[in-house]
Amino acid sequence: MKIKGFLKDVTGASRVTKARLNAFESASSAPEKTDPIAEVVKEWHPGKLDLVVKEVRDACKTAKTVRFARADGGKLPFFYAGQYIVLDFVIGDSVISRPYSISSAPFEARGEDPFVEITVRRSRGDGFIADYINDSVKVGDTFKGLMGCGQFYYEPLRDAKHVVALAGGVGITPFASMAKEVANGTLDMDLTILYGSVSSDDIVMKAELDAIQSDKVHIVHVLSGDEPDWQGEKGFLTADLIKKYSAEDTTYFICGPQAMYTFLRGELAKLNAPKRRVRFEVFGQAKDITTFPGYPLELKDKTFNLTVRRGVHEDVIPAKATESLVVALERAGIRIETGCRSGECGFCRTKVLKGSVYVCPENDGRRAADKDFNYVHACAAYPTSDVTIKIPIE
Amino acid sequence: MKFYKDHYDVIVIGGALAGLSSALMLADKGKDVLVLERHNLPGGIASSFVRGGIEIEAALHEMMSIGEKDNRLKVGKFFDDMGVDIEWLKVPEAYHASLPGLEVTLHPGLSTFAKEIDAVVPGTYDKVLSLLNLCNTVFDSVNELSIHPMSKAKMLLKHEAFVKTAGYTTKEVIDSFDLPKKAQDLLAPYWIYVGSGFSDLPFTIYSVLMADYVGYGSFIPRKFSHEMSLKMAERAEAMGVQIEYRQHVEKILVKDGKAYGVRTARGDEIHADYVISSAYPNKVYTSMIEPASEVPAKAIKMVNGRRLSLTAFSVIMILDDTAENLGIKDYSVFKGDTMDTDLLYKDLAGLGPYRYLTCICHNLGNDTATPPGTCSYSITTLPQVKGWKTVKAEDYDRVKHEVAKQMIDDMSAYLGVNLLDHILEIVIETPMTVNRYTNAWNGCIYGYAHTMEDHIIARLQTAEEESFIKHLEFSGAHAISGDGMGPAVTNGRKAAKNVLDTMAAEEAAI
Repeated sequence: MKIKGFLKDVTGASRVTKARLNAFESASSAPEKTDPIAEVVKEWHPGKLDLVVKEVRDACKTAKTVRFARADGGKLPFFYAGQYIVLDFVIGDSVISRPYSISSAPFEARGEDPFVEITVRRSRGDGFIADYINDSVKVGDTFKGLMGCGQFYYEPLRDAKHVVALAGGVGITPFASMAKEVANGTLDMDLTILYGSVSSDDIVMKAELDAIQSDKVHIVHVLSGDEPDWQGEKGFLTADLIKKYSAEDTTYFICGPQAMYTFLRGELAKLNAPKRRVRFEVFGQAKDITTFPGYPLELKDKTFNLTVRRGVHEDVIPAKATESLVVALERAGIRIETGCRSGECGFCRTKVLKGSVYVCPENDGRRAADKDFNYVHACAAYPTSDVTIKIPIE
Repeated sequence: MKFYKDHYDVIVIGGALAGLSSALMLADKGKDVLVLERHNLPGGIASSFVRGGIEIEAALHEMMSIGEKDNRLKVGKFFDDMGVDIEWLKVPEAYHASLPGLEVTLHPGLSTFAKEIDAVVPGTYDKVLSLLNLCNTVFDSVNELSIHPMSKAKMLLKHEAFVKTAGYTTKEVIDSFDLPKKAQDLLAPYWIYVGSGFSDLPFTIYSVLMADYVGYGSFIPRKFSHEMSLKMAERAEAMGVQIEYRQHVEKILVKDGKAYGVRTARGDEIHADYVISSAYPNKVYTSMIEPASEVPAKAIKMVNGRRLSLTAFSVIMILDDTAENLGIKDYSVFKGDTMDTDLLYKDLAGLGPYRYLTCICHNLGNDTATPPGTCSYSITTLPQVKGWKTVKAEDYDRVKHEVAKQMIDDMSAYLGVNLLDHILEIVIETPMTVNRYTNAWNGCIYGYAHTMEDHIIARLQTAEEESFIKHLEFSGAHAISGDGMGPAVTNGRKAAKNVLDTMAAEEAAI
């Protein structure tokens, strides 16, 4: 065979080898350490940040807003309005993480005096971190936080320009972020927030939200409690009410308590909203796992042995049948990275080596192959026998 | 608390396809291996994610070098030999080419492919088939020589086609066949999977690409590339490999020119006889070797003398209707407004509009890809790194949306359906996404460009001299075989083989 001529053809390999060595010979010998792509990533996803509390203020009678800045005073990462921050709380020997929707706007994280805020309601006695934030967090406290998490945000290529947000109680927070960003002119959509509260005292961030109403941001308060003087909308966020504020093409964002999700699924079905127009924020950790279908009720009072492998190290800790593996680990002071605590983000992906678990069906965000090999998201998995797991070394 | 053993035979940095292949091969030979992966799951970009309850492929279009069950190619055979049992689905066609004046679907099999081109460009069958046969001959030689190296004289006798085409570009060899332009165009679409224009792409690489994909077809795992990555990881662990996730290796420890361990971001110092790095040589030689004085000047000149190849930009969508109803007919479509690969390559240096798009509808190769009534559709371009290096953090979101919108509009026009009206979920993957999840240098997924100045044959010739630090091997797209998920496995095996060979040689010396 012949391409160009025998001699040229057979010397090809030597030719290309020489060309390569020549290229090296003439290259610079100065190390080029910078990676501009990685620099952009650092500004969006810098990993865990050292944060310091700058301000704590009332968001209503029953909730507080906490403002954080970076301990080094630097700009906070870019994020999308609607996303959450994961904060680490050091309680005794344990580090416990919680996700909170960011209630401040993305532009505020990049301004002259950059900050990020969360707004948290006091619990009814069952949420010790929420109460800790309301009672004990003060200016100067420091936290580690990972921000810009989650998929609950407006995506212009996907969502309708007209957005109706359905908020229940403290579920207003992601929409507060969106509303401020829209009001600032840095997020382009028409936002109507139907905001359900029990009583007018309960309305979180009311003054802040009412102040930014405009032709692009409408806040409609809806009270479910009985208040004779109330002039606004009353009752629940029903299909009729939602329809009244909808355009022909509307994207619905929903964030609120778990009971509201069940109710709104029914109401939205009545409106025949296409699936792609309905976006729920993650469900949150199941309040009572025993109420979910298929949960083995006969085990609910049991405590099992949870063997935890990290590298070649092994611990054995107790794990209650009604608490997720994450909670068992946190109680025992074993660090596990968590994000959404709703089975979605996969931060707490864990291999179950032995034993069995129940996975909350509402929060099963696993990959198919992961299911085949007994991986679980530990925040949504509950022991139903003695269990051995392997988790990353933190 | 002690999380690691005092000593390992080999530490592998990175638990993606290359690193896991290294680990599998070493474990198979009884070596004690630790894999440290920065993310919390294996695979690197060979992965998947879940959005709105639907699992979505992150990166894989099609795997080469798998082959049918009874006629495996090298990667498929390696998985079989290692006991990595993947459910492979054969992609139905080679590709649909949508080029100026051409809408043609071509199927695998060298003569089938030639026949289908002949149907569009009559009278080309013999020439096209002989070109493909030449590719196949070169491919066979590459496979044999990678296992059994031989002298140059002997090579000329036994591997004439390989030797005689080695010094030529793809363009030079294809030109020698004197084919009409349309036929040439139909032979070009796969170019993007090796990432160089034909005036700079070694014919050797083109041969491997065509012989492998066209000759044997391509494959995908049923449960996305995560099935492949996870099964490799699971198998490796079953063979005794320790894999630790969320461990970011910051330093490779070197003394007297020889690697002896690593240090992680957590602060663990872990010792081993050998280190295999999936981190790019650029990163390793500029900031990972400790102490930095162990880095020879030649190593820096080498990385500076090589050109980074392509990165990825992908718009991945779950659509709210079936492929059939949306008029999506092919698993894989290459759409270009020219098939001049040199011109297209130049275009990839910018930020769009990109003129060459690759579209994949997984449902047409995998009936369980998405829930009934939906389908997945991705539009990908593989830009050069340099355009994206100019994007600032504050412009990133805007630029990414503009590029994505353009690509969606282009394909909407092609399909005659406004895809924007059907998006259930959308994810835009950029070079930054790649960097975020894999830490790949510059977000580059292709390693170093296959060019005439960085020819695979030259890489093989000088490999030994480029081993600047003893007991340190490289495994990933930046290694000899270059880009692609199939070659990643080959690169991983090669790194493991080098380690095993050195072990044997050093043992023999004692």
